[in-house]
Amino acid sequence: MSTHVATDSLVEDLASRLDAAAMTRTACAQLSQSHKISLDTAYAVQRAVAGRRLARCEHPLGIKLGFTSRTKAAQMGVSEVIIGRLTSGMLVADGGEINLGDYIHPRAEPELAFRLSRDLAPGEWNGQATDIVDAVAPAMEIIDSRFRDFRFDLADVVADNTSASGAVIGAWRPIGEGLDNRGVLFETDGRIVGAGSTAAILGDPLRAVTAAVRMAARYQITLSAGTVLLAGAATPAVALRAGTAVSTSVSGLGRVRFTVAGSDSLAGANDE
Amino acid sequence: MGVPPDGAISAAAERLLRAEREGVPAGPVRDLLGASDIDAGYAVQNRIIEHKIQRGSRAVGRKIGLTSESVQRQFGVYQPDFGVLLDDMVLADRTDIALSRFSQPRVEAEIAFVLGADLTAEATVADVVRATDFVLPAIEIVDSRIADWDIRISDTVADNASSGAVVLGASPKRLSELDLATLGMTLEHHGEPVSTGAGAACLGSPVNAVSWLAREVARRGRPLRAGEVILAGAWGPMVPVTAPGSYLARFEGIGEVRASFIAESKEATPV
Repeated sequence: MSTHVATDSLVEDLASRLDAAAMTRTACAQLSQSHKISLDTAYAVQRAVAGRRLARCEHPLGIKLGFTSRTKAAQMGVSEVIIGRLTSGMLVADGGEINLGDYIHPRAEPELAFRLSRDLAPGEWNGQATDIVDAVAPAMEIIDSRFRDFRFDLADVVADNTSASGAVIGAWRPIGEGLDNRGVLFETDGRIVGAGSTAAILGDPLRAVTAAVRMAARYQITLSAGTVLLAGAATPAVALRAGTAVSTSVSGLGRVRFTVAGSDSLAGANDE
Repeated sequence: MGVPPDGAISAAAERLLRAEREGVPAGPVRDLLGASDIDAGYAVQNRIIEHKIQRGSRAVGRKIGLTSESVQRQFGVYQPDFGVLLDDMVLADRTDIALSRFSQPRVEAEIAFVLGADLTAEATVADVVRATDFVLPAIEIVDSRIADWDIRISDTVADNASSGAVVLGASPKRLSELDLATLGMTLEHHGEPVSTGAGAACLGSPVNAVSWLAREVARRGRPLRAGEVILAGAWGPMVPVTAPGSYLARFEGIGEVRASFIAESKEATPV
């Protein structure tokens, strides 16, 4: 990987490719098959991809973290988390419904969400996570790689906005003690498909807050009060199937849920 | 498949006892038992436990294995298995544990139930909750007398459900205060989580696992008795222990327990 940022035209070209894949629900080839792009270029592509959503009248919703579990980071051969941009069109109401036809090959994973309590200019803050977030909620993220077969390298997934596709946020509660080891039960149709702990998120999900703010500063993202921080997954993701109810409960924080409508024959077929 | 002859049971028990005595892992015993003959496996396990009791060990409880769906699938079985805990397998929190005592140790974080009453072959979840005096945080050290953990279901059952030892924490909690299924667990090594999970990973709830055990061991003729310590099954993936060092298991709402492995010399004392 080269270290410089590629030309604006290449960034826009790659962003168009990813945006078209999402808009047409058709997976595309990995960028890394045709281009050697640096991590900085990948983040530039991500900014351009998110920019296209904002140009379609979405507004910024928050930041998500990826590779917050040791095993996932090891699989990708990285030692640092990555961030993606959440926009308003990704928000799925708690208890709401998604349609498989709006996605390529979506998966869901159980997470925690935090809410920023104040505006933060890049680089402005360097203190305790609990000083800048005022609420926590059980959450789920819907990830949907724009690449065929959900296969990507580090630059690919960063350019693809870290597969960000949907966010379901449960009821906000004040930040309490002991968020570092809460049981997380991830269920589809009432069947447990993942039993984990918030400890899987960087050992303590509050570290994800610090990491998100640090990464946002590095990539010049301004954070405002109310920004949602999706902290990372507590268990592996599961592929979504039509006609299922998906829920996550976090010990002491309650439950968040959504249902999946549509037809299974659409999903996966979009990989071809 | 027919029942293996008594000679095969004895030969399998002798192979596993010799491996333990000499500290050299043996080949699997499924050549003698058949890979899927669970009853033959328990016959070998009984033989080994009887031998150790004759030599002065005392049975203090049981352990439940194969309580996670993914591990059951890997073994091609749809039920857990169990082994017998002997007094010299029970270690106290934070004592030094000589690695040399084990062959290919792995650790897993789980909860121990200490029974205040007997349980019968009809034990329901309600009976288990009523009979449980208290629960303790625990780290089970699993081990295999079979080289490279090359085991099928009959091998692990014969080998006392691949048990090694257990470190018991000292923060007893009443079940009436806890919904075990919903609680989180993190097993830390060098300050980093190396295994995370929740009580639900153990057959939906550790209480379900103990209820299964109560019925299974009663059916096999040795029902659970008051005072027994029951290791109910792992809350997260097991982790190989390859070097001296310590592992801290933390359970939401229950407490923590530490297993500290040292290279040699000072052996932990059974408690």
